[in-house]
Amino acid sequence: MTAASQHGGPDATSARAATLSGPSVRSVRSRLRSATARRVAFGYLLLAPAGLYVLLLVGAPFFFSLYLAVTDATVADPVANFVGLENFRAALESDVFWIALRNSIVFLLVAAIFKSLLGTTLAFLLLQEFPGKKLVRGLVVIPFTLPVTISVLNWKWMYDSQFSVINWALNAVGLIGGYGSPSWPIWLGQPELALGACIAVNVWRTFPFSAIVLLAGFTSVPPEILDAAKVDGCSFLQRFRHVVVPMIFPILMVGFLFDTVFTLSDLSVVYLLTGGGPANATKILPVLAYQVGIQAGALGRGAAIALFLVPLLLPMLYLMLRNIKRREY
Amino acid sequence: MTAPQTHAQKERRRLIWVYAGLAPFLFIAMLPLYWMIVTAFKQNQDLYRMDVFPLWFNLAPTLDHFRTLFYQTNYGAWIMNTLVVAAWVAVITLLAAVPAGYALARLRLPGAENAGIAIFMTYLVPPIILFLPLSRVVSMLGLQDSWWALVVVYPTFTIPFCAWLMMGFFKTVPMEMEEAARVDGCGYLGALVRVVLPVSLPGMLTAVIFAFTLSMQDFLYGLAFVSPGDQKPVPVGVPTELIRGDVYYWGSIMGAALLVGLPVAILYNFFLDRFIQGITGGVGK
Repeated sequence: MTAASQHGGPDATSARAATLSGPSVRSVRSRLRSATARRVAFGYLLLAPAGLYVLLLVGAPFFFSLYLAVTDATVADPVANFVGLENFRAALESDVFWIALRNSIVFLLVAAIFKSLLGTTLAFLLLQEFPGKKLVRGLVVIPFTLPVTISVLNWKWMYDSQFSVINWALNAVGLIGGYGSPSWPIWLGQPELALGACIAVNVWRTFPFSAIVLLAGFTSVPPEILDAAKVDGCSFLQRFRHVVVPMIFPILMVGFLFDTVFTLSDLSVVYLLTGGGPANATKILPVLAYQVGIQAGALGRGAAIALFLVPLLLPMLYLMLRNIKRREY
Repeated sequence: MTAPQTHAQKERRRLIWVYAGLAPFLFIAMLPLYWMIVTAFKQNQDLYRMDVFPLWFNLAPTLDHFRTLFYQTNYGAWIMNTLVVAAWVAVITLLAAVPAGYALARLRLPGAENAGIAIFMTYLVPPIILFLPLSRVVSMLGLQDSWWALVVVYPTFTIPFCAWLMMGFFKTVPMEMEEAARVDGCGYLGALVRVVLPVSLPGMLTAVIFAFTLSMQDFLYGLAFVSPGDQKPVPVGVPTELIRGDVYYWGSIMGAALLVGLPVAILYNFFLDRFIQGITGGVGK
């Protein structure tokens, strides 16, 4: 429908309407209103499958998990009793919960620092023109595109206690002693090394994502603006700080928030590498929620632990929402 | 400073710096993959020793690990499961996401913008919060312990993402064609089916690819909902079935990982820019 037709202009729809029902303005208007109603009804009909799926299998489960969290439901006993905030209290009183919370936050922050450093450097390099750029870009993003469990298994093999290829290389250049000597690191078996080893895998997997998001931001800055700033006598750092960063900030934010949500809630890296061990050194909230909820069968307890992620994620979702909306209008 | 550099010299120096800067990134990104490939083809006597250079074959390469995979494990079944689950997920995703994306982008629905954002936000509700209640849903439907459970739950993240992607896509399709079709007597449905869908095939292909590659990134749902050994998809079967107690068949594990992981990685690679566009700018155009 065009603007002209809405004002009763001489386009095909209203012309046909006119021939059918005579030159009555009221009938044209009512026809148009029913066309609008039909369009809206059709629209909601098209939206219904996706909307229902999401409501039934994301919305409803989310509220169901709120319900589970205040009951004593277990895998074995589906008849649940209301226990109030008992599950949350139990979580807050257990040491392992606080260890998991601390590990989750350390994991998130340390990984974010390394990802942004590596990602920014790589993005600047990929911003250059050079022969073979497409190939290099394609190869360097492979860590991000490999299915996560597959690359984590690969790292588990590289961290092997006895046949670690990393240790072989460190030993070959003389940084560590042979297998069995005290300086031979067992990456996933020593509490002081294990969390770092897990963080390294997360960084390895996602630094290409940071780089590509940044690159998308950089290339969205019109070169004329940078040239103008250059002509005005801005140095490289000034241009970066006052022109590039404000312009790419929204994209940067979305990429950052996206990564935060996925890093904070990811179970696979730690679960497959260490299962949360040794001695809870790598226990993070998702692993704890899985072990309590499924392996120990305490659905209510597990749901309560998983829900502790919500206050951590909520500010992220809020910021993201604000960002998307601001860019739109 | 010596004599002023020519342009060609300067350019060569710049290139050297760029390649030198990229080399460590390529090394970090590729070494694990390279190690995966070498491991998959090494004989066990060659694999489990530390006294020789490990990054190349010291004994002849072998296909033994792949034979083990196909003759002594459920690997063949996992590949089938992966493909069948992916196909169903793609179909469900298309049926839901394409109409939704179209409605949100083109029909000027009241509240369309907010509805679009709400659907995208559900993509960011992490599985770790949903998997316990979903395990109840799955057992209510009687689908526990079968790959059908995954067909039901994977669209919870593929539909939001692909609806968002299609919404961005439909915004770029010129409006005049469908209006012309509608004026020529096609209804809304007629215009959608006859005019909009044919020009939207590239967008729909992208949605199918993401239904597949995003499903391949799952671990939690597969781990929690599917326990029989012959029902798992590859990304879940390899880590849960090929590791038996403390015995690791690294050659077979890496072979299994390589055979499926590499094609997925390459496919995803081609569509990575669309993925980034999807999450950073589906609306802002």
